[in-house]
Amino acid sequence: MTGTTALSRARTVRYTTIVVALAAIVTVSAVRIVTGADRLTTPGTLRQALIAACPILLAGLGGLWAERAGIVNIGLEGQMLLGTWGAAFFAYHHGWLAGIVGAAVMGLIGGLVHAIATVSFGVDHIISGVALNIIGLGAVGFLAKSYFDELSGGGPRNLSGYPTPPTLTIPGISDGARSLADQHWFVVSDVSAAVAGATTNLSILTILTLALALLTAWALWRTSFGLRLRSCGENPQAAETLGVNVYLYKYVAVLVSGAFAGLGGAYLTMVSSSSFTVGQTNGRGYIGLASMIFGNWRPSGVLTGALMFGYADGISLLPKNGPLVHALLLLVAVFLLAYSVFKFRAGELTTAIVVAVIALGALVWYFTTTRVPSAFTGMTPYVITLFVISVASQRLRMPAADGKPYRRGSAG
Amino acid sequence: MTIEVELAGIGKRFPGVIANHDVSLRIRPGTVHALIGENGAGKSTLMKILYGVQPADEGTISVDGQHRSFASPTDAIEVGIGMVFQHFMLADNLTVLENIVLGAEKLHGIGDGARTRIKEISARFGFGLEPDQLVERLGVADRQRVEILKVLYRGAELIILDEPTAVLVPQEVDALFSNLRELVADGCSVLFISHKLDEVLAIADDITVMRRGTTVGTADPRTATKHQLAELMVGSELPSPETSERTVTDQVVLALDGVTVTDDLGRDRLTDVSLAVHRGEVVGIAGVEGNGQTELVEVVMGMLRAASGRITLDGQDITRLSTRKVRELGVGFVPEDRHRHGLVLDFPLWENRILGHQTKPPVVKGPLLNPAGARTDARRIVEEFDVRTPGIGTTARALSGGNQQKFIVGREMSGDPILLIASHPTRGVDVGAQAAIWDHVRAARREGLGVLLVSADLDELIGLSDRIEVVLRGRLTGTFDPSQVTAQDLGAAMTGGSAA
Repeated sequence: MTGTTALSRARTVRYTTIVVALAAIVTVSAVRIVTGADRLTTPGTLRQALIAACPILLAGLGGLWAERAGIVNIGLEGQMLLGTWGAAFFAYHHGWLAGIVGAAVMGLIGGLVHAIATVSFGVDHIISGVALNIIGLGAVGFLAKSYFDELSGGGPRNLSGYPTPPTLTIPGISDGARSLADQHWFVVSDVSAAVAGATTNLSILTILTLALALLTAWALWRTSFGLRLRSCGENPQAAETLGVNVYLYKYVAVLVSGAFAGLGGAYLTMVSSSSFTVGQTNGRGYIGLASMIFGNWRPSGVLTGALMFGYADGISLLPKNGPLVHALLLLVAVFLLAYSVFKFRAGELTTAIVVAVIALGALVWYFTTTRVPSAFTGMTPYVITLFVISVASQRLRMPAADGKPYRRGSAG
Repeated sequence: MTIEVELAGIGKRFPGVIANHDVSLRIRPGTVHALIGENGAGKSTLMKILYGVQPADEGTISVDGQHRSFASPTDAIEVGIGMVFQHFMLADNLTVLENIVLGAEKLHGIGDGARTRIKEISARFGFGLEPDQLVERLGVADRQRVEILKVLYRGAELIILDEPTAVLVPQEVDALFSNLRELVADGCSVLFISHKLDEVLAIADDITVMRRGTTVGTADPRTATKHQLAELMVGSELPSPETSERTVTDQVVLALDGVTVTDDLGRDRLTDVSLAVHRGEVVGIAGVEGNGQTELVEVVMGMLRAASGRITLDGQDITRLSTRKVRELGVGFVPEDRHRHGLVLDFPLWENRILGHQTKPPVVKGPLLNPAGARTDARRIVEEFDVRTPGIGTTARALSGGNQQKFIVGREMSGDPILLIASHPTRGVDVGAQAAIWDHVRAARREGLGVLLVSADLDELIGLSDRIEVVLRGRLTGTFDPSQVTAQDLGAAMTGGSAA
């Protein structure tokens, strides 16, 4: 009996996910038509969103690797920073491929420091991670000044003029989708805009990022390597009694985590922009961590979270985005109202009322103004992060031994 | 496919403690071998050595006549030794299948091959487990079966079970034993660690007794009696809970008058309970668990609020007082779950001494804590109450259950209480500590304390109490004189069979 219920539960979850995704697309489309803010879903906007989402996704996946093995990696930001420098340095001297590898290696070194501190010496994960972030920022400033100041196209805090990964446009699909998107039809145009955005001037690094998301899901859930790694995050003592080398798996997880964050840094210096500056990450490591929590420590969830945060991030980077963020207010209000109704039906009255009040506030703001002042639009991704995490953090299930110290021989 | 395992001269030291010395043990193939001993006798350490979790300092392990040394559980698994820990080693958020194949992925993969094999073993021994169920949805008995299946899946021929019945209800124990008999019939050997003598006599083929870190003898379960085994375990005459002269006075120390407690859903947990405890009197509360004993204790302690009725302590109304006020008025409390209520396990003993007394000297001085005073007094408790610990700086977690309980009793008897509430004071405690705790309860009674004793151990109730009240579905349904009543009578009254 239990096996079939587990199966049917999985089926219900999948069904619900599809329905929710469809409903979200329809709502976005409806809001676009009601507000007349067509730029909400043009191919350009969505391409920008995808580009903004990738570094967040890489950081989120990095966090996922570490936390699934029970190590909180709040040092993602610092590892990303190291990655930005590594990408610029190696790409400048040895080409874009070396840049990508160099960024991963720099991030991996950051991960190694974190792993030595937390796994071998049992330092508190948060303290080690915060230290790593500070070290990362300082080290990148120092390295940039030492190595980039004298280069042509370089300065004490920046570098440009290095090769970036090639892009490719998928002919046929890209043009067709683009012309459909230009019609501004309900739903159809929004979906084709997404297709067009994802097939035009697509960087190799974007493809690599999405492939890494798939690889993560496969490696962690479909292989015995992944099972062992996850067991270290759920109950390392149990894993130890079954002959799993817990230290080894934790090390591997944190190293992979650092490498992913480093790649996230490479994405920022090589795809999001074509120049390096110190402190380029701007908190994306933390947003990546937020997307991992929002995604309930699962790759598909991390992807969803990263796309959502990326969208907000992308919009905040567009020029003249006052009316756009204004239209976003209506969208947020609609989503929050839907969530409130859902909570009300689940019997959580207090939550429902609080969410409904916030939704009404957004509605009032929407109807009493015509644009959001530019001082606020840059805050969009951070405000959305805050909201989503506070709303979504109620039914999350983190790995049971996440962040807990583990010593060999403590079983039984 | 059976193996013969022999341990010889095993020794193991931890800082400040000799856990094992000169331990010898031989497990015959195809038998259930019971290893018995008090809590803290070194049984668990020995098992960890045999399973490769910790290395031995001296001594040898031989399997089928060949010397072996196990650097990790992997080595032990390889020669066919598997262990089920007292505290289950399962990851809640993984499925049954994932928990089982973890570390043994090479055997049958992690997919359908493993699934088939698990279903096969589960069916053969009647475990009834579903491979794709999440472990967090399973009950205790099922989790234990997952643990055993985990061991069988790896082809273990010797299965070590560390106090497997501690977490089970009687029906589940029967089911476990029938599982074990099938395993033995199938050619496995079982090493069964316990301090419950009835169970050991029921299941074992051979018995080895441990005391204070070493093996002190063997026994044949066909001829040995419970009494003999217990004396081997304790090393001296068995104590009994008999009390001597009456010390009951007519001074009421605790009185409940028509107390009713209702839960969140408005149902009565206690209905119209009236009860008096006098100075120098032990009042025993007998009842099947869940009939309101917990609520009775908690309402007196101020942990629950009475919906109606009045509670007085030495004439003073305490019905609406907070737990701290109640304790300040002189109530000592030995809670039923010492890990949840009695101790902060990761605090050292002297800090645990302060808990519950944080407003009274000697552990406070003015508005501040007095660590020196707390240390001195903790040392006094350790000595007077024979708490076996390397020192008062040791965390409570490091002590065995019996020593933890003795420390709690010592703390609760500090500060001149007038009433002692003891909830299952000897539950999960070994024979030696049990005797000590009984002595302390008797001493308390002699000193003129009122004692409210809640217990599921009927011999304990009959032996210690001056009067026994039976609680059934939240009501006091009968009063018994312990000198007249038998355990059978009480049992009948507790289940509502007949009331006197």
